[in-house]
Amino acid sequence: MGIEKHRNILDYTLLSLLRRKFKNIGIILVFTFVIFIVGSILFLSYSFKREAYLILKGSPEIVVHRMMAGRHELTLLSYMKDIIEIPGVSKVEPRYWGYYYDSMTKANYTILSMGETVMKTSRLLKGRLPEINEKNSAAIGKGVARARFIDIGNVFSLQSADGSQMVFNIVGIFETDSELMTADLIVLSESDFKRLVKMPEGMATDLAIYVYNETEALTVARKIRERFPDSRPILRDEIIRTYDAVFGWRSGLVLTLFIGALAAFIILAWDKATGLSAEEKQEIGILKAIGWETSDILEMKFWEGLVISLTSFLPGIILAYLHVFFFGASLFAPALKGWSVIYPEYRLAPFINFYQVATLMAITVIPYIASTIIPSWKASITEPDIVMRG
Amino acid sequence: MRRSSIFFLLTALKILIIIALFVHSRIELSNRMTLWKDLEGIVSTLKLTDMALFTDARYARHPTQADLFSAFQDYPGSIEHFPTGTIVPPPEFDSVETVIKIK
Amino acid sequence: MSTEIIIETANTTKIFNKEKPDEVIAVNDVSIKINRGDFVVFKGPSGSGKTTLLSMIGCMTRPTSGSIYVKGKDVSHLPERFMTMIRRNTFGFIFQQFHLIKGVSVCENVMLPLYPTDIKPSKLRKKAEEILHNLGMEGRKDFPVQRLSGGEQQRTTIARALINDPDIILADEPTAHLDTNLSEEFLSIMRGLQQEGKTILIATHDPLVYEKDYINLIIEMRDGRVKNIIGKQ
Ligand SMILES: Nc1ncnc2c1ncn2[C@@H]1O[C@H](COP(=O)(O)OP(=O)(O)OP(=O)(O)O)[C@@H](O)[C@H]1O
Ligand SMILES: [Mg+2]
Repeated sequence: MGIEKHRNILDYTLLSLLRRKFKNIGIILVFTFVIFIVGSILFLSYSFKREAYLILKGSPEIVVHRMMAGRHELTLLSYMKDIIEIPGVSKVEPRYWGYYYDSMTKANYTILSMGETVMKTSRLLKGRLPEINEKNSAAIGKGVARARFIDIGNVFSLQSADGSQMVFNIVGIFETDSELMTADLIVLSESDFKRLVKMPEGMATDLAIYVYNETEALTVARKIRERFPDSRPILRDEIIRTYDAVFGWRSGLVLTLFIGALAAFIILAWDKATGLSAEEKQEIGILKAIGWETSDILEMKFWEGLVISLTSFLPGIILAYLHVFFFGASLFAPALKGWSVIYPEYRLAPFINFYQVATLMAITVIPYIASTIIPSWKASITEPDIVMRG
Repeated sequence: MRRSSIFFLLTALKILIIIALFVHSRIELSNRMTLWKDLEGIVSTLKLTDMALFTDARYARHPTQADLFSAFQDYPGSIEHFPTGTIVPPPEFDSVETVIKIK
Repeated sequence: MSTEIIIETANTTKIFNKEKPDEVIAVNDVSIKINRGDFVVFKGPSGSGKTTLLSMIGCMTRPTSGSIYVKGKDVSHLPERFMTMIRRNTFGFIFQQFHLIKGVSVCENVMLPLYPTDIKPSKLRKKAEEILHNLGMEGRKDFPVQRLSGGEQQRTTIARALINDPDIILADEPTAHLDTNLSEEFLSIMRGLQQEGKTILIATHDPLVYEKDYINLIIEMRDGRVKNIIGKQ
């Protein structure tokens, strides 16, 4: 048996689909939209996930918080000398960071300082970072610069804990390429930070712990917990996994959009699966009566499902890619921005997860084809003599 | 032209576009290798732990530094941070094997 | 013309809903012989089993008991695939309600029976156009069928029945929806086909049909049985 027969059946299927142009174009549009939305979510969340993984590799291996009465509390620097004693620990450094609410712009900034500056310049930093004890200088993120209309060389002020205004020279601005990590940052020197927030001596926000061997991080964390029961160590592993969860399929982002799209798809498939119209049944009878086999009818239905679902799936995926990676997922931006005043500008990295795309294809194309074939099954196996009786 | 030929042609065209997008993805990703290295450098210098994606709530700005076991930790269901609250779920340290317990 | 027996039924019986309270013996112990080139009319009152017998002969359904031979071959117990094959290769059907596929052009409707075969579409189209031409339908070949007049629909149905070049043409009440002129026209087309050597089987209660002198076999049925066979040579 040659290939010609199958092409002939496909020819007829296409002809038959074109007869109900509006209905079928409608189905294709809805189907494409569903794929577009779901595909966009998949691309977006996977891209964030992968970027988080690649970038947060630079995070401290362990961060140790101190808890008091169920609250995050400042850590005592005196913990450091005990922690450094733990075998496997290579370095312990204090972290100074917190938030600053700017009532003028209604924006929240993340303020922080670093200990000793290892890296003073970077391709991603215009200017430089403040020195450890340098007074009244700051490096800021692009988002802060946008919110306050300031640039390198300008000054801006923050209100310190005692009510006085502290003025800062902007010595550095993080470049646009780094906004995903730096948009809302204000980096100060350690002494300025402590002055701004009035942090008592001998305290730090939390501690960053480095180990010689990454695989021992968990053991070290356990030992820290044993030594300081009020501490809460967070492993870098957990940091990365948190982002897996934020952008995983169970996250709100994915679920909210997913459920809507899924509902639309189910309605679509349901409409198909709940049976043939009398007209369609009769057409099947006629085809059988004039010499089509059951398998020919089923093949026609298979083509029908395949044509509709492929004609929807492929453009849907293409549009999703363009939407997310060329237009910055602009349709989702309102949801992603939320109420934030400072919002990073970023170009998502076009990571494609083939497994996800293949799964999406499998859970849409195959059920759709099935919901096209199965209802016609019964009509196609009945004896065609019914058409003799109108 | 036969209808089936048109269908196959259109489908092939779409597959070609997808291949082109795939190539785009590869090129774009390899162009970003240095960017990620630089970003990793910034992250390790500043000892950052989180992305600055959401700046409207504490737990959303630093989801990895938030926790579930403190009393009254901001919970994502809280309406005042909608829609961020629906996007950022509570951290799932439970599901991670690395629960730290004192023996 | 040869006297080859092209169709033979042997004690053919069809029972619907067998052994149920609403059992119907639609065709009861029918044994007939039809020669190649015959013009046969099945007549009889409504419910006498004409349609049922015709669908069994046309391999659309199987008899409950008895056999049917088409070109000497027992077709009554063949698997579905082979029944379809015989249907496609041997028979052309003309239905009372025309049963054209709506929204599809005249030419495509005519081509339809041979779509699931390995024929080239260009060849198939040429064949269909030729048949339509012979029936005076060439001006209508790209018309959607639902816009045709009754007579044109009938001719499209005939063309469709002829696309596979069948030996036997089965028509069930073909003139029921036609006026006298169109019925006459239909019959003359059938007569022409008979003269080309095809065997024509028509079920009807239209006197216009069975009074034609070129009909050489009238099979009268009543209550599923053959009541009378009138052969004219
Ligand atoms: N699928 C079926 N199930 C039950 N009974 C049926 C079925 N099909 C036909 N019958 C019955 O079989 C009998 C013969 O029907 P058939 O259609 O063959 O008669 P007919 O001679 O063609 O009648 P008409 O001239 O009205 O078309 C009728 O009594 C009919 O009700
Ligand atoms: Mg009848």
